[in-house]
Amino acid sequence: MAKIVAAFGVPHNPNFPALVAKQGSDCEVARLYAEVASHIESVRPDVLIVFDNDHFNTFFLNNFPIFSVGIADKISGPNDQTVMPRYDVLVHADLATHIRTSGINKGFDLALAQDFDVDHSIMVPLHFLTPKMNIPIVPIFINGLVPPLPSSKRCYALGRMVREAVESWAAKADVAVLASGSFSLEIGGPKIKPGERSGVPDVEWAKHVQARLEQGQIHELIEEATASRMLRAGNIGGELLNWIAMLGTIDARKPRFIQPQLDHGHAYGVWRWDGI
Amino acid sequence: MSIYAVNKLCRDALHDLEFRAALKSDPARALEMRSLSSQEREALLAGDVARLYEMGASGFLLSYLTRWDLFGLTVPIYSERIRAAHDPR
Repeated sequence: MAKIVAAFGVPHNPNFPALVAKQGSDCEVARLYAEVASHIESVRPDVLIVFDNDHFNTFFLNNFPIFSVGIADKISGPNDQTVMPRYDVLVHADLATHIRTSGINKGFDLALAQDFDVDHSIMVPLHFLTPKMNIPIVPIFINGLVPPLPSSKRCYALGRMVREAVESWAAKADVAVLASGSFSLEIGGPKIKPGERSGVPDVEWAKHVQARLEQGQIHELIEEATASRMLRAGNIGGELLNWIAMLGTIDARKPRFIQPQLDHGHAYGVWRWDGI
Repeated sequence: MSIYAVNKLCRDALHDLEFRAALKSDPARALEMRSLSSQEREALLAGDVARLYEMGASGFLLSYLTRWDLFGLTVPIYSERIRAAHDPR
């Protein structure tokens, strides 16, 4: 039977590939991704489930799902003109189908995406974490951008459901989970920095989220992370929902590694329990 | 509901190179083909992103316009204007 062996959380700022290409592998961003990547290499998952919020590129406002599971053989990206290499990545259609069917049977009305490509929010993390693109993924999209957002409680329950689905999947496989996104970030809205097109309006919230994660205080975080609280931390603040769904796939526990970049409003985290 | 057309226009500016070029060379004419309300058209042509935001347009999508300085929206101008928008959060 399959099992979840580790979980990870990283940001996906679209300027990071170009930044690292310029500053080199010693810069902070490169080192933090490399730390997370080293754990992925060490647990060697067969599949990587990715909780992600698309930014109007895979989906648009003509049809914007709250939750959607991507089921395809192969996808490519980024599809949003992010300056970085373009990649193809395999999707584990069998596990994706099993998760979607299990979810629907348990009351999660999961939309279906086929024949799609993805934006920087999936491709920036994979570029740094699995650049050989040798681990098939299951993309699960959560609406973290377009109010009304799903609740933290619902996203956590989604994560629990995904864990049960993995554990009831007949294949013998080690599965890891990746959350992509920030805790405080505003792009193009009134809370941006003067003279710029983005900003981190709520460093205190990012610090608080980081502390909750560090202490394994997940249920406290779920209570606090209301939609209005997240959106006060920025119009991208709902990306925390990806992390909360990821946390739903594992027991409440402290991370093996977590490091914030508070001026960016995000963090890099690793959850492992294999004793190595 | 037609604020959707403003959001769609921002997305098309990113993905549709011909439309982007048309917006750049003759914005008023490029907007003629779009089903915009007169207020939306006026606000776009004036680069009045605060008003568009207050009408319900996405700040994330509006900020695409600064990538090519469409409607006169350089980053500093955009930033100053959007920061003045009413923000119910």
